[in-house]
Amino acid sequence: MQFEDIIRVNELTKKFGAFYAVNRISFNIRRGEILGFLGPNGAGKTTTIKMITGLLRITSGNVFVKGLNVKKQIKQIKAFTGYMSQKFSLYPLLTSLENIEFFGGISGLPRKEIKKFQQQITDMIPVKILKQKIMDIPPGIKQQVALFTCLMPDPDIIFLDEPTSGVDPKNRRDFWMQIYKLKKAGKTILVTTHNLDEAEYADRIIIIHNGKIIRQGEPSTLLKNENMDSMEDLFKKAVTDHETN
Amino acid sequence: MRIFYLLKKELIEIFRQKEMLVIMFIAPILQTIILGYVVTTDVNNIPVEVINLSKNKAAYRIANRINRSDLFDVKKITNQPGDHLKTLKQGKAKSIIILRDRYDKKRKPLAYPEIQILMDGIDSNTSVIAAGYFNGIARQFILEDMRKKGFELPVESQTLIRFNPNLKSINYMGPGIVALLLTIISMFLTSITLVREKEQQTMDTLLISRLTPVEIYLGKSLPMALLGLIEMGIGILVVILVFGIPLRGSLLYLFLASVIFLFAILSYALLISTLCSSQQQALFFSWFSMVTFLLLAGLFTPVENIPKGLHWIADINPLQYLIKIIREIFLKGNGIEYFYKDLLILGAITVTVLTLSLLNFKRLVSK
Repeated sequence: MQFEDIIRVNELTKKFGAFYAVNRISFNIRRGEILGFLGPNGAGKTTTIKMITGLLRITSGNVFVKGLNVKKQIKQIKAFTGYMSQKFSLYPLLTSLENIEFFGGISGLPRKEIKKFQQQITDMIPVKILKQKIMDIPPGIKQQVALFTCLMPDPDIIFLDEPTSGVDPKNRRDFWMQIYKLKKAGKTILVTTHNLDEAEYADRIIIIHNGKIIRQGEPSTLLKNENMDSMEDLFKKAVTDHETN
Repeated sequence: MRIFYLLKKELIEIFRQKEMLVIMFIAPILQTIILGYVVTTDVNNIPVEVINLSKNKAAYRIANRINRSDLFDVKKITNQPGDHLKTLKQGKAKSIIILRDRYDKKRKPLAYPEIQILMDGIDSNTSVIAAGYFNGIARQFILEDMRKKGFELPVESQTLIRFNPNLKSINYMGPGIVALLLTIISMFLTSITLVREKEQQTMDTLLISRLTPVEIYLGKSLPMALLGLIEMGIGILVVILVFGIPLRGSLLYLFLASVIFLFAILSYALLISTLCSSQQQALFFSWFSMVTFLLLAGLFTPVENIPKGLHWIADINPLQYLIKIIREIFLKGNGIEYFYKDLLILGAITVTVLTLSLLNFKRLVSK
């Protein structure tokens, strides 16, 4: 069961006019793994994640999540997926506790359970900060709150779109520790990032450039096979290879 | 009850912006009062020069009546002819009344003078009304004078003015201004609500949640409808208490028509919000739409004055129907049997706009 594919992406394409944001990409995500989706800004990471989560209409190709077709069964898929978008997507005028209440409420959680979550977060963040408006708290805390709200409905599959952008190194490391905990709890995680040094945290990585997958595999194996010392060198070589071909 | 959380969130966001509260609750009171006093079609204090070239007593008395009237601001009464065109060009007066003697065939002066009215026609509306006032004063004087002399007119018409006996334009404008306020606040606030979600990137989170598109749509429009009705209540109170305009009809019908109208305007604003990609764009679009709605609503000028080719725009303008219904309820005290047709048309417009807006929102959700 460890290597069961929980998400299958087949020839996935997104076209905006004549521009291919994502061009016939195929990959699988295994149950319980952390898959890092790497690439520079505009490579097609967010577009891919948005198509998998049903936020963007697929131009062509297919995505199956737990065997369910994203094009037809998105309502059922929503029941076991969580999504944290760029900029943490919290409401700046609401406090952290109010954001938790809101996201818990629209996820259909009972009031009692929402109260429990509000209590639970006070173990991680001081109440004083939790009662401040989101616009007034530091990015590291925002990130924690955003992840917390994303996890409240207890999703099996978690999509994190650039979760570490704008966050200092310490908070980034702490964040990845939380991701590991989630993995241990059996969650499947797809993380997009443009920080190449974060690749080592993932079980497998996919490097995407100009809407095409240019490398995929385990980070250490990729480095070894290409005889590279760092992910940055590997990325540069992959891009050069792709552009010369 | 997922929608409850969305409603609560919307209200918290609105009430947490102090500037917004001022705009929503203080501005309508001020606007109603200012617009009520300023936006008036009453013509008063018209600057006038009276040139009395007649030696006739009647001419003297007519000039005197003009001078005493509150309708005119008599700048000068003289018996010397002058350069009338220059006076009008300089803007010293908008009207010049010239009274001259009239003679019979034997060159004997007649009992009543000849009255010539020169008008500055740039402000055509004021000119027509002012000319009517002058004629009225002259006619009244002549009638009274003839009666004194024992003459009776064979036919005499009597005018009885109902619903607004003093012909005060505030009675006509006030209820319309309430509808205008409802439009301004609802349209501007609602048009930015979905765009703000897009800008904050919280729209994706809403869409990926278990909220259905209809729940998101309702969650966005219902708080605005509630606020719109509160605004309307404030406007009505101001109109009644400050301007003393009586509410002769049913408050219930007034709110029924307003709720139907509100959903038309909120749906239109949400349509703008789905089409625009920034709050600035949405506000600009709303402003443009609002001016069009306003000018074609019969608030300032009768809808009948609109050229036939453009009449269809007025016919699909929901504000026109609301203003008409509000005036009927306020001033005539009419019941639903008098305006049910307007209410039905308003309802049909609302259903159409709501459907279009919802379909467009669903399209946005699955783009």
